[in-house]
Amino acid sequence: MKIKDGYLLREVAGSNIVVPIGEGAMDFSGVITLNDVGAFIWKNMEEDITKDELVRKILAEYDVDEETAKKDVEEYVSSLKGADLIAD
Amino acid sequence: MHKLRVADINLLIKYKYDTMLKQGAFYEADFEKPNVTIDIPDEMLEQWHKESPHLTIDDIEYVYTGASFYEALLHFNGFMLHSSGVVKDGYAYLFSADPGTGKSTHTALWQKYFGENNAMIINDDKPAIRLTDNKLWVYGTPWSGKTDKNINMKVPLGAIVFLERSENNWVKEIEPKEAIPLVMQQTIRPVEKDKMIMLLDMLDRVLSSVKLYRLGCNISDEAVEVSYNGIRVEE
Repeated sequence: MKIKDGYLLREVAGSNIVVPIGEGAMDFSGVITLNDVGAFIWKNMEEDITKDELVRKILAEYDVDEETAKKDVEEYVSSLKGADLIAD
Repeated sequence: MHKLRVADINLLIKYKYDTMLKQGAFYEADFEKPNVTIDIPDEMLEQWHKESPHLTIDDIEYVYTGASFYEALLHFNGFMLHSSGVVKDGYAYLFSADPGTGKSTHTALWQKYFGENNAMIINDDKPAIRLTDNKLWVYGTPWSGKTDKNINMKVPLGAIVFLERSENNWVKEIEPKEAIPLVMQQTIRPVEKDKMIMLLDMLDRVLSSVKLYRLGCNISDEAVEVSYNGIRVEE
Protein backbone atom coordinates (compact mmCIF):
# COMPACT_ATOMS: atom_id res chain seq x y z
CA MET A 1 0.00 0.00 0.00
CA LYS A 2 1.06 3.58 -0.61
CA ILE A 3 -0.12 7.17 -0.37
CA LYS A 4 -2.01 8.41 -3.42
CA ASP A 5 -0.19 10.76 -5.75
CA GLY A 6 -0.97 14.43 -5.62
CA TYR A 7 -0.01 15.32 -2.06
CA LEU A 8 2.95 17.18 -0.65
CA LEU A 9 4.25 16.80 2.93
CA ARG A 10 6.33 19.69 4.23
CA GLU A 11 7.39 21.10 7.59
CA VAL A 12 6.07 24.63 8.11
CA ALA A 13 6.97 26.55 11.27
CA GLY A 14 7.30 23.36 13.31
CA SER A 15 4.18 21.62 11.98
CA ASN A 16 4.06 18.73 9.51
CA ILE A 17 1.46 19.67 6.96
CA VAL A 18 0.08 17.92 3.90
CA VAL A 19 -1.48 19.82 1.02
CA PRO A 20 -2.89 18.59 -2.28
CA ILE A 21 -1.09 19.54 -5.48
CA GLY A 22 -2.04 19.11 -9.13
CA GLU A 23 -5.66 18.39 -9.98
CA GLY A 24 -6.59 17.60 -6.36
CA ALA A 25 -5.61 21.12 -5.33
CA MET A 26 -8.65 22.44 -7.18
CA ASP A 27 -11.26 20.63 -5.07
CA PHE A 28 -9.63 20.48 -1.64
CA SER A 29 -8.54 23.74 -0.07
CA GLY A 30 -7.78 22.34 3.38
CA VAL A 31 -4.56 21.45 5.15
CA ILE A 32 -3.83 18.16 6.93
CA THR A 33 -1.62 18.39 10.01
CA LEU A 34 0.36 15.33 11.15
CA ASN A 35 2.29 14.72 14.35
CA ASP A 36 5.88 13.44 14.08
CA VAL A 37 4.97 9.75 13.97
CA GLY A 38 2.24 10.49 11.44
CA ALA A 39 4.71 12.37 9.25
CA PHE A 40 7.21 9.50 9.55
CA ILE A 41 4.57 6.97 8.48
CA TRP A 42 3.43 9.25 5.64
CA LYS A 43 6.99 9.65 4.30
CA ASN A 44 7.53 5.90 4.33
CA MET A 45 4.21 5.33 2.59
CA GLU A 46 5.17 7.54 -0.34
CA GLU A 47 6.69 4.33 -1.75
CA ASP A 48 4.85 1.01 -1.65
CA ILE A 49 5.25 -0.61 1.78
CA THR A 50 3.55 -3.25 3.96
CA LYS A 51 2.26 -2.74 7.50
CA ASP A 52 4.96 -5.08 8.86
CA GLU A 53 7.69 -3.07 7.17
CA LEU A 54 6.23 0.13 8.60
CA VAL A 55 6.32 -1.35 12.11
CA ARG A 56 9.99 -2.33 11.63
CA LYS A 57 10.85 1.18 10.43
CA ILE A 58 9.15 2.74 13.45
CA LEU A 59 11.01 0.40 15.83
CA ALA A 60 14.29 1.40 14.19
CA GLU A 61 13.53 5.12 14.41
CA TYR A 62 11.69 5.54 17.72
CA ASP A 63 12.20 4.24 21.20
CA VAL A 64 8.89 2.35 21.43
CA ASP A 65 7.85 -1.27 21.95
CA GLU A 66 6.47 -3.40 19.15
CA GLU A 67 2.92 -3.29 20.48
CA THR A 68 2.84 0.53 20.43
CA ALA A 69 4.36 0.63 16.95
CA LYS A 70 1.75 -1.84 15.66
CA LYS A 71 -1.03 0.20 17.25
CA ASP A 72 0.29 3.44 15.67
CA VAL A 73 0.49 1.84 12.25
CA GLU A 74 -3.03 0.38 12.52
CA GLU A 75 -4.46 3.72 13.63
CA TYR A 76 -2.72 5.78 10.99
CA VAL A 77 -3.38 3.42 8.13
CA SER A 78 -7.05 3.20 9.01
CA SER A 79 -7.42 6.99 9.28
CA LEU A 80 -5.59 7.45 5.97
CA LYS A 81 -7.89 4.84 4.42
CA GLY A 82 -10.89 6.62 5.90
CA ALA A 83 -9.74 9.85 4.26
CA ASP A 84 -9.31 8.01 0.94
CA LEU A 85 -5.59 8.82 0.81
CA ILE A 86 -4.28 5.31 0.14
CA ALA A 87 -3.83 3.80 -3.30
CA ASP A 88 -4.06 -0.01 -2.96
CA MET B 1 4.16 46.70 -23.25
CA HIS B 2 4.57 48.63 -20.00
CA LYS B 3 7.57 48.65 -17.70
CA LEU B 4 6.67 48.49 -14.02
CA ARG B 5 8.67 47.88 -10.90
CA VAL B 6 6.49 46.07 -8.37
CA ALA B 7 7.86 44.66 -5.10
CA ASP B 8 11.38 45.35 -6.40
CA ILE B 9 10.70 43.10 -9.39
CA ASN B 10 11.07 44.48 -12.93
CA LEU B 11 7.92 43.64 -14.87
CA LEU B 12 7.44 43.86 -18.60
CA ILE B 13 3.69 43.64 -18.80
CA LYS B 14 1.01 44.02 -21.43
CA TYR B 15 -2.26 45.80 -20.62
CA LYS B 16 -4.53 48.30 -22.30
CA TYR B 17 -7.68 48.83 -20.26
CA ASP B 18 -8.50 51.66 -17.85
CA THR B 19 -8.02 50.04 -14.44
CA MET B 20 -4.50 48.77 -15.19
CA LEU B 21 -3.57 51.99 -17.01
CA LYS B 22 -4.61 53.98 -13.96
CA GLN B 23 -3.22 51.71 -11.22
CA GLY B 24 -0.08 50.79 -13.11
CA ALA B 25 0.93 54.43 -13.60
CA PHE B 26 2.30 54.71 -10.05
CA TYR B 27 4.67 51.78 -10.62
CA GLU B 28 6.24 52.81 -13.93
CA ALA B 29 10.00 52.39 -14.01
CA ASP B 30 12.87 52.25 -16.42
CA PHE B 31 15.12 49.21 -16.73
CA GLU B 32 17.04 47.28 -19.35
CA LYS B 33 16.15 43.72 -18.45
CA PRO B 34 12.84 42.55 -16.99
CA ASN B 35 12.81 39.89 -14.26
CA VAL B 36 9.33 38.80 -15.32
CA THR B 37 7.30 39.20 -18.51
CA ILE B 38 3.50 39.07 -18.34
CA ASP B 39 1.97 38.88 -21.78
CA ILE B 40 -1.53 37.41 -21.70
CA PRO B 41 -2.85 36.86 -25.27
CA ASP B 42 -6.05 38.78 -26.12
CA GLU B 43 -7.77 35.50 -27.03
CA MET B 44 -7.24 34.19 -23.48
CA LEU B 45 -8.70 37.34 -21.93
CA GLU B 46 -11.69 37.03 -24.24
CA GLN B 47 -12.10 33.35 -23.34
CA TRP B 48 -12.05 34.15 -19.61
CA HIS B 49 -14.48 37.00 -20.26
CA LYS B 50 -16.89 34.53 -21.88
CA GLU B 51 -16.61 32.30 -18.81
CA SER B 52 -17.31 35.25 -16.47
CA PRO B 53 -19.71 37.50 -18.39
CA HIS B 54 -20.67 39.42 -15.23
CA LEU B 55 -17.19 41.00 -15.30
CA THR B 56 -15.99 43.58 -17.81
CA ILE B 57 -12.96 42.86 -20.02
CA ASP B 58 -11.25 45.60 -18.00
CA ASP B 59 -11.90 43.63 -14.76
CA ILE B 60 -10.66 40.43 -16.42
CA GLU B 61 -7.39 42.07 -17.43
CA TYR B 62 -6.95 43.48 -13.92
CA VAL B 63 -7.64 40.12 -12.22
CA TYR B 64 -5.48 37.96 -14.51
CA THR B 65 -2.47 40.29 -14.75
CA GLY B 66 -2.57 40.31 -10.94
CA ALA B 67 -2.82 36.52 -10.73
CA SER B 68 0.17 36.21 -13.10
CA PHE B 69 2.21 38.62 -11.02
CA TYR B 70 1.45 36.86 -7.72
CA GLU B 71 2.33 33.49 -9.22
CA ALA B 72 5.67 34.91 -10.43
CA LEU B 73 6.23 36.44 -6.98
CA LEU B 74 6.74 32.93 -5.56
CA HIS B 75 10.04 32.77 -7.47
CA PHE B 76 11.33 35.83 -5.60
CA ASN B 77 10.86 34.67 -1.99
CA GLY B 78 7.46 36.27 -1.95
CA PHE B 79 3.76 35.61 -1.72
CA MET B 80 0.44 37.43 -1.64
CA LEU B 81 -1.75 37.55 1.44
CA HIS B 82 -5.38 38.44 0.83
CA SER B 83 -5.56 41.26 3.38
CA SER B 84 -5.87 44.98 3.92
CA GLY B 85 -2.50 46.42 4.95
CA VAL B 86 -2.17 49.57 7.02
CA VAL B 87 1.14 51.30 7.76
CA LYS B 88 1.52 52.78 11.24
CA ASP B 89 4.73 53.89 13.01
CA GLY B 90 6.81 52.47 10.17
CA TYR B 91 5.35 48.94 10.21
CA ALA B 92 2.76 47.28 7.99
CA TYR B 93 -0.05 45.43 9.77
CA LEU B 94 -1.98 43.03 7.56
CA PHE B 95 -5.62 42.30 8.37
CA SER B 96 -6.67 39.13 6.61
CA ALA B 97 -10.15 37.63 6.22
CA ASP B 98 -12.64 36.30 3.69
CA PRO B 99 -14.20 38.90 1.37
CA GLY B 100 -17.05 40.77 3.01
CA THR B 101 -15.84 40.28 6.60
CA GLY B 102 -14.73 43.87 7.05
CA LYS B 103 -10.95 44.05 6.68
CA SER B 104 -11.10 47.22 4.55
CA THR B 105 -13.67 48.66 6.93
CA HIS B 106 -11.30 48.06 9.82
CA THR B 107 -8.26 49.68 8.20
CA ALA B 108 -10.47 52.61 7.07
CA LEU B 109 -11.34 53.04 10.77
CA TRP B 110 -7.59 53.28 11.53
CA GLN B 111 -7.35 56.06 8.95
CA LYS B 112 -10.27 57.92 10.49
CA TYR B 113 -8.86 57.49 14.01
CA PHE B 114 -5.19 58.33 13.37
CA GLY B 115 -5.58 60.54 10.27
CA GLU B 116 -4.90 59.45 6.71
CA ASN B 117 -1.22 60.47 6.82
CA ASN B 118 -0.56 58.52 10.01
CA ALA B 119 -2.25 55.32 8.87
CA MET B 120 -1.69 54.71 5.18
CA ILE B 121 -3.23 51.82 3.27
CA ILE B 122 -0.29 50.17 1.48
CA ASN B 123 -2.65 47.79 -0.31
CA ASP B 124 -6.32 47.27 0.49
CA ASP B 125 -6.66 43.69 -0.73
CA LYS B 126 -3.52 41.93 -2.01
CA PRO B 127 -0.24 43.20 -0.58
CA ALA B 128 2.95 41.38 -1.55
CA ILE B 129 5.25 40.04 1.17
CA ARG B 130 8.91 39.38 0.38
CA LEU B 131 11.91 38.10 2.25
CA THR B 132 15.00 40.10 1.29
CA ASP B 133 18.22 40.62 3.28
CA ASN B 134 16.79 38.25 5.88
CA LYS B 135 13.96 40.67 6.60
CA LEU B 136 10.25 40.54 5.78
CA TRP B 137 8.86 43.44 3.76
CA VAL B 138 5.35 44.37 2.71
CA TYR B 139 4.92 46.05 -0.67
CA GLY B 140 2.10 47.94 -2.28
CA THR B 141 1.14 46.66 -5.74
CA PRO B 142 -1.22 47.93 -8.48
CA TRP B 143 -3.60 45.08 -7.64
CA SER B 144 -5.65 46.16 -4.63
CA GLY B 145 -9.04 44.56 -5.23
CA LYS B 146 -12.15 46.67 -5.51
CA THR B 147 -10.55 49.87 -4.22
CA ASP B 148 -7.65 51.83 -5.69
CA LYS B 149 -6.01 52.08 -2.27
CA ASN B 150 -2.39 51.08 -2.79
CA ILE B 151 0.94 52.87 -2.42
CA ASN B 152 4.19 52.12 -4.21
CA MET B 153 6.32 51.62 -1.11
CA LYS B 154 7.98 48.93 1.02
CA VAL B 155 7.64 48.71 4.79
CA PRO B 156 8.78 46.10 7.35
CA LEU B 157 6.05 43.58 8.22
CA GLY B 158 4.70 44.32 11.72
CA ALA B 159 2.11 41.57 12.25
CA ILE B 160 -0.45 39.38 10.51
CA VAL B 161 -3.93 39.59 12.00
CA PHE B 162 -6.83 37.30 11.15
CA LEU B 163 -9.96 39.38 11.52
CA GLU B 164 -13.46 38.26 12.38
CA ARG B 165 -16.62 40.14 13.25
CA SER B 166 -17.52 40.29 16.92
CA GLU B 167 -19.79 42.31 19.23
CA ASN B 168 -16.87 42.91 21.58
CA ASN B 169 -13.36 43.87 20.60
CA TRP B 170 -10.59 41.45 21.50
CA VAL B 171 -7.10 40.40 20.35
CA LYS B 172 -5.42 37.05 20.93
CA GLU B 173 -1.92 36.02 19.88
CA ILE B 174 -1.90 32.67 18.07
CA GLU B 175 0.67 29.99 17.31
CA PRO B 176 1.97 29.37 13.77
CA LYS B 177 0.15 26.01 13.82
CA GLU B 178 -3.20 27.79 14.08
CA ALA B 179 -2.25 30.32 11.40
CA ILE B 180 -1.20 27.81 8.70
CA PRO B 181 -4.70 26.86 7.48
CA LEU B 182 -5.82 30.50 7.76
CA VAL B 183 -2.96 31.73 5.55
CA MET B 184 -3.51 28.90 3.08
CA GLN B 185 -7.11 30.06 2.67
CA GLN B 186 -6.03 33.63 1.96
CA THR B 187 -3.36 33.18 -0.67
CA ILE B 188 -3.30 31.78 -4.19
CA ARG B 189 -2.61 28.06 -3.83
CA PRO B 190 -0.27 26.97 -6.58
CA VAL B 191 -1.12 23.79 -8.43
CA GLU B 192 2.44 22.86 -9.45
CA LYS B 193 4.60 21.05 -6.93
CA ASP B 194 7.68 23.28 -7.28
CA LYS B 195 5.62 26.42 -6.68
CA MET B 196 3.82 24.86 -3.72
CA ILE B 197 7.23 24.06 -2.20
CA MET B 198 8.27 27.70 -2.70
CA LEU B 199 5.08 28.90 -0.99
CA LEU B 200 5.41 26.52 1.96
CA ASP B 201 9.09 27.34 2.47
CA MET B 202 8.20 31.04 2.45
CA LEU B 203 5.39 30.45 4.96
CA ASP B 204 7.86 28.53 7.12
CA ARG B 205 9.99 31.68 7.38
CA VAL B 206 7.10 34.11 7.77
CA LEU B 207 5.10 32.18 10.36
CA SER B 208 8.21 31.38 12.44
CA SER B 209 9.30 35.00 12.68
CA VAL B 210 6.31 37.33 12.66
CA LYS B 211 3.68 37.91 15.35
CA LEU B 212 0.31 36.35 14.53
CA TYR B 213 -3.03 37.35 16.02
CA ARG B 214 -6.75 36.82 15.86
CA LEU B 215 -8.85 39.96 16.17
CA GLY B 216 -12.56 40.09 16.88
CA CYS B 217 -13.92 43.55 16.19
CA ASN B 218 -16.94 45.73 15.67
CA ILE B 219 -17.06 49.10 13.90
CA SER B 220 -16.02 51.69 16.49
CA ASP B 221 -13.11 53.76 17.77
CA GLU B 222 -12.68 51.16 20.49
CA ALA B 223 -12.08 48.53 17.80
CA VAL B 224 -9.07 50.55 16.61
CA GLU B 225 -7.77 51.10 20.15
CA VAL B 226 -7.99 47.42 21.10
CA SER B 227 -6.50 46.32 17.79
CA TYR B 228 -3.62 48.84 17.75
CA ASN B 229 -2.70 48.32 21.41
CA GLY B 230 -2.87 44.56 21.02
CA ILE B 231 -0.74 44.14 17.91
CA ARG B 232 1.67 47.05 17.65
CA VAL B 233 5.37 46.32 17.51
CA GLU B 234 7.04 47.40 20.76
CA GLU B 235 10.26 49.24 20.03
